[in-house]
Amino acid sequence: MNDVVRPVMQDAVAAAPTRVDGRDKVTGRARYAVEHPVEDVVWAWPVTSTVAKGRVTEIDASEANGTEGVIAVLTHANAPRLGETDDAELQLLQSDRVAYRGQVCALVVGETVESARAGADAVRVRYDEAEHDVVLDARHPAMFTPEKVNPGFPTDTSIGDPDTAFAVAAVQLDATYTTPTEHNHAMEPHATTASWGADGTLTLYDSNQGSTGVARVMADLFGLQVRAVHVISEHVGGGFGSKGTPRPNIVLAAMAAQAVGRPVRLALGRQHMFSLVGYRTPTIQRLRLGATTDGVLRSLVHDVWEQTSTLDDFAEQTAVISRMLYAAPARRTTHRLVRLDVPTPSWMRAPGEAPGSFALESAMDELAAACDLDPVELRVRNEPDVDPESGKPFSSRNLVACLREGARRFGWEQRDPTPGVRRDGRWLVGTGVASSTYPARTAPSQARMSIGSDGVVTVELNAVDIGTGSRTALTQIAAEAMDLPTDRVRLRIGDSTLPPAMIAGGSMGLTSWGSAIVKGARQLRELVGRRDGAIPEDGLEVTADTAEEVRAVSGYARHAFGAQFCEVRVDADTGEVRVPRLLGVFAVGRVINARTARSQLVGGMTMGLSMALHEEGVVDVQHGDNVNHDLAGYHIAAHADVADVDAMWLEEHDEHLNLVGAKGIGEIGIVGTAAAVANAVHHATGVRVRDLPIRVDRLLGRG
Amino acid sequence: MSGSVTVARSLDQALDALRSGPDARLVAGGTDLMVEVNAGRWQPGTLVSVDRAPELRGWHRDGDEIVLGSGLTYAEMERGELARLVPALAQAARTVGSPQIRNAGTLGGNVVTASPAGDTLPVLTALDAVVQIAGPEGTRISPLREFVRGVKRTDLRAGEVVTAVRVPALRGAQEFLKVGTRNAMVISVVMVAVVVDLDGHTVRVGVGSAAPVPVRAPLAEEYVGALVDWERARMDDPTGEVAAQFGELVAQATSPIDDHRSTAAYRRRAVAVCAARAVRRAFQEPESP
Repeated sequence: MNDVVRPVMQDAVAAAPTRVDGRDKVTGRARYAVEHPVEDVVWAWPVTSTVAKGRVTEIDASEANGTEGVIAVLTHANAPRLGETDDAELQLLQSDRVAYRGQVCALVVGETVESARAGADAVRVRYDEAEHDVVLDARHPAMFTPEKVNPGFPTDTSIGDPDTAFAVAAVQLDATYTTPTEHNHAMEPHATTASWGADGTLTLYDSNQGSTGVARVMADLFGLQVRAVHVISEHVGGGFGSKGTPRPNIVLAAMAAQAVGRPVRLALGRQHMFSLVGYRTPTIQRLRLGATTDGVLRSLVHDVWEQTSTLDDFAEQTAVISRMLYAAPARRTTHRLVRLDVPTPSWMRAPGEAPGSFALESAMDELAAACDLDPVELRVRNEPDVDPESGKPFSSRNLVACLREGARRFGWEQRDPTPGVRRDGRWLVGTGVASSTYPARTAPSQARMSIGSDGVVTVELNAVDIGTGSRTALTQIAAEAMDLPTDRVRLRIGDSTLPPAMIAGGSMGLTSWGSAIVKGARQLRELVGRRDGAIPEDGLEVTADTAEEVRAVSGYARHAFGAQFCEVRVDADTGEVRVPRLLGVFAVGRVINARTARSQLVGGMTMGLSMALHEEGVVDVQHGDNVNHDLAGYHIAAHADVADVDAMWLEEHDEHLNLVGAKGIGEIGIVGTAAAVANAVHHATGVRVRDLPIRVDRLLGRG
Repeated sequence: MSGSVTVARSLDQALDALRSGPDARLVAGGTDLMVEVNAGRWQPGTLVSVDRAPELRGWHRDGDEIVLGSGLTYAEMERGELARLVPALAQAARTVGSPQIRNAGTLGGNVVTASPAGDTLPVLTALDAVVQIAGPEGTRISPLREFVRGVKRTDLRAGEVVTAVRVPALRGAQEFLKVGTRNAMVISVVMVAVVVDLDGHTVRVGVGSAAPVPVRAPLAEEYVGALVDWERARMDDPTGEVAAQFGELVAQATSPIDDHRSTAAYRRRAVAVCAARAVRRAFQEPESP
């Protein structure tokens, strides 16, 4: 285990380079998917189903076709046929079947976005409607055991005899927690500009988290060679997982461009995004913790029930966090899934760990109370020596250090554990803690590196900056690896014709891309060294591929860790919850850019705060719809909800990760936050909220 | 798609433009109208923009009354002399949307939209506001309690424009409280406005988001009005019982519903809490200098 040195402080943030594309973004020079100038371009707008299950019996486009500016109306009857891929959500306009409310059943192409929308409003769709089933229930008769959980974990795991160990445990906690449907909406909607060349090539300006895969899927759908598809994603306005795979916008734009013979722009409307770009499944989670009176876990069982669509099985890996966070000799995790008449759920920031940590870390807080133990101390007592399920050593594991450092900085030592006794005027005050963790993974990527006779290094790989600052951090990594100042490095990313690379997802972007750059830099310096530094007129070039390094698994369990501390104030009369203080202390390996890293961690924690207090997709049982399918109804935290959110990290050196020495930070910030808030609410009020979000009426209703 | 926008530079131009057809609609800040457009509930046809009609802008004193132009923005209500004269309206305006929304949205729009959650309506209701209307038949007035007829339904007739809202300039404290599911940019769960009239010896309360239309609570108003020491402008309530009873009576005047934002039971409770809190604040001892 590595020694933890000092926490990294504000001066590191101040000293970090600012974003290399910051000026372009704030001045509007940075172009997003539907902003690139394209000649003769037209717009498309989808028509979506107004029933949740059934068949389309008739689409009357006569009025739409007569609408001024409308060029074409595509439906399953006349749309181009698509090839097969493994994403059934992309088989757009291929059949009359309606699998959920909000599914695309027609597409209107117009000279302007306004005419396309007006045309879409004029399309009349008739259905043969079937009875729908949209409510997740753990006792649903159609619950089944999925083959695996995202992205490839075993569905169930079991060690020892957790039932007997639980039955004989001196302290038993058996509680069920729920999280609602949650939506991940980036500021820039899913958007594409598509144009076909005379030679049959397809050019796509698209908003996504990685265009290498997008190009491959589009080639399969349209029967093209991958090299005939060119996807450009120079700037992307956020993703949060929802742009990790191609979404209907890119397929529809390409279909429309093919059908009308002109370039087409399509930016989904905010309301489309509630059904067309994935979301986080609601979860029902039962936690059974059996412990000794001094809080040592003897049994840990985490059972999960969640939903998918009738089109595709997506099983969020909700209980996976319970496989590695704490020691327990007997343990079990299970996932059960039911196919409902709903859109297919998908990746949303920290799939698995985000909802799973709410249940596990709330249960740990309940167990601490049951054992009359401090919640920090309880976690320390259950710290494992090795990864509990695989038996592998951790490459580094500094959860305890994060808990201790956070407790010290937060002023945890003076905490009176009694719930519901601190009052400041009308406010009940409480504090809570939760652990954070996220896997530290690296995926194969390639990078092409060249050096010119002027000494300038050009780095090319199909990475993407979705707003996180990766363009800046990769420039730093390349400069450091080449031992050059950053202004001698030119970075090209966001283009599918560049060497293939990992998506910006799974907190694996920077580590995967950075590793390819470090390897490429080593090769390039060696090449330059062999020529004694003499660079020929036309330069030198190498292409590095990290497939081998990534394959050479070194037998370690690799995870990032953290601890989040939260103070809440609850209005004793109205139940309104305010969060004046949120502190996260993380151990994430090497941090490349303290400024953008802090922003990622604070952003994740803010999203976790939002998950705790606001986010809830409300199901309309009668119509099979989302009740609140816009951002006026689906609330995320507003500025006024976010007071003092601070993130810091411990200096951590881990040799067993990747060539960069980093663990990835995109997701860990959201893990544990909701539990820390709920635990603080319990400390403040004595009310244990096991169902997110922590709504005022729920809080008072059970007080 | 056919559509047109007439930019009216005077009230008369606006009235003329409205005569062009029954589908013509007024737009000022557009903060409600554009939501309807985006939700596909209304397709822009003939729009008459009134944000440049000077007769509708600003506010002025008229004897004991204040005449609030229908084009008065939330941002204009928030500060300055008007905020001192009608503090509850300023408090309500500050809770609306974001600064961008408050720069665009108008009082007239809030009144004409007549949403149960219209943020200024509890204040205007407590103040017994009167709506001034111009139309093809000339001008008329309509008390707000008659003007708002139901959820998003008003007494406004074809071709008419709300030109102003008249409220009394009162001596006495005013309070506005709102509970929402987040701390800003939120459609209210409940709202309560309490207005004290030291000269008329009345306490008036307006409640929003707790019934199809903003409501008053006459029993509560009479109850607390009888217990106020009007000479000293104080309410003798050492144990808080009077405020609590006032809150209960206000809650009884409401008829809230369950929806995705909250429950009827919670709304009733929150109305009682807010009303009690507002009346306590309205009569609390002034801070010592």
